[in-house]
Amino acid sequence: MNAALDAWFAREILVHEEALVHVLRRYWPHRDDLHDLRQEVYVRVYEAAGKALPTQPKSFLFATARHLMTDRLRRGKVVSIEPVGDFEALNVLIDEVCPERRLGARQILKRLAEAFDRLPDRCREVVWLRRVDELSQKEVAERLGISEKTVEKQMAKGVRLIAEYFYGGEPSRADLPRKPQADKETEHGKQQTD
Amino acid sequence: MASSRQIERDAAQWLARREGGDWSALEQAELDAWLAASTAHRVAFLRLDAAWAQSDRLKALGAGTASDGVPARGQWLHSNFDLQAPRAESMPEPPTPAATGHDAAALVFAPRRSAARGGRGLRYAGVAMLALLGVASFWGWQRQAVVEQASYRTAMGDLSDVALADGSQATLSSDSRIEVALSRSERHVELQQGEAFFDVAKDARRPFAVVAGGRRVIAVGTRFSVRREGADLRVVVTEGTVRLESEPVGGRRQPTSVLPAGSTAFASRSGVLVRIGSVEDAERQVDWRRGYLVFRDTPLSAAAAEFNRYNARKIVIGDAAAGELRVGGNFRLSNTEVFVRLLEQVTPVRVEHRPDRIVLHSR
Repeated sequence: MNAALDAWFAREILVHEEALVHVLRRYWPHRDDLHDLRQEVYVRVYEAAGKALPTQPKSFLFATARHLMTDRLRRGKVVSIEPVGDFEALNVLIDEVCPERRLGARQILKRLAEAFDRLPDRCREVVWLRRVDELSQKEVAERLGISEKTVEKQMAKGVRLIAEYFYGGEPSRADLPRKPQADKETEHGKQQTD
Repeated sequence: MASSRQIERDAAQWLARREGGDWSALEQAELDAWLAASTAHRVAFLRLDAAWAQSDRLKALGAGTASDGVPARGQWLHSNFDLQAPRAESMPEPPTPAATGHDAAALVFAPRRSAARGGRGLRYAGVAMLALLGVASFWGWQRQAVVEQASYRTAMGDLSDVALADGSQATLSSDSRIEVALSRSERHVELQQGEAFFDVAKDARRPFAVVAGGRRVIAVGTRFSVRREGADLRVVVTEGTVRLESEPVGGRRQPTSVLPAGSTAFASRSGVLVRIGSVEDAERQVDWRRGYLVFRDTPLSAAAAEFNRYNARKIVIGDAAAGELRVGGNFRLSNTEVFVRLLEQVTPVRVEHRPDRIVLHSR
């Protein structure tokens, strides 16, 4: 348990998720690997930071991503090497592709509101009642006429999607048509892009 | 080895279970074990937990917009975010008077707040309080109808605790005046003068709005203080989140500021400055409720201004150098004499006692 490290991680690393995903997507040919790559980058950063906090978290994050992709290439996990870009260029590109931007309180709120609005209907209801109206799980179940178990499931889904939308990126940049079987949330994601 | 997506699902499930209530020590131990099992678990959970913690801010959006239940998609975005508005919010530093290197003599003394445990240490002078109570006018079906109206005021040097009909509590500072109107749809308080601290009873369907000088401070269930000086406001939030809205200026909508616990907002004609600090810092700024003024490295000019809010006999700063001295410590707000006597002993200040005021000169 290391609350300070966790807080650092959220503050200095997670805020760059959108840029990280953008870079991974650009340099890695296999979309299906992205989720796993992202997690692996986080694991490496977190473990390294547990020993010594990097002084430049953002650079460290992207350097880690670069190393990871290189490692995976060497280990032959990737069959086709051709489309994979030049990772060294990443150093230069990071700031170009995603200039440093700290979100102000208002932007954070806007992003949250947008993330919230993208949730599927039932999920959105549950999150609102729990989070804003502060009803208990039981009260939410009664109000919506569903079981507590379902409320909990919707909550789990809501938490996951909010994290994805909040950290992961802007709805407008839907430049990755995710394969339906890869993520069954895609259908929900779509209905809100109008 | 579970896939990263599976781990994320598991993490989400843990989080949902924890948030679901009835969370036992045993379950926490299970979660801890799961987290300790792999860094992948840990970062997945941490990420969801951080996003979920952020989503607490949705409450601030909910305040005032939700009439009942979940708002329609997209609707609230328009009401809350005017993209044309200038980004004038959230600046790191408050507009404190320019600091100089003159911070040598700080006085720190006085046992820390013995009154804290015994509740409100100060005797509230109820006599000076004027309460026009209970105009219970019912237009039943009309939601906007005022169902309860009252006004309260305090004289110089007095504090007053007021229990509002909705269960909220207001503490009026010295020389302050509020006008309360509770309706079915809104709890409306106008701060006409001075400062008041609010401990708001939770009622998501009836936002609590404090209006002063063209601005609205909105909360659902939280604790905060609003101080008014002419058209300028200072808002201190010690618990929960409040939203600060401003009237349009020249037809242009002004940005809304969201103030989490620990923040202090200064709103003036030139805009809104928000300082986000610890809750402890924020609490210190509303210690007047306990009859104390607390200073930490505060310019003497600012400390004097604080004392002057509570005392008829004013402290006047004789020269700029005296005003720039930094002081610290806890003081009874009613006891100006003790404060200046200590100043004289510990800092390079000479005190001149006049019948109507106390003048501080640098030595």
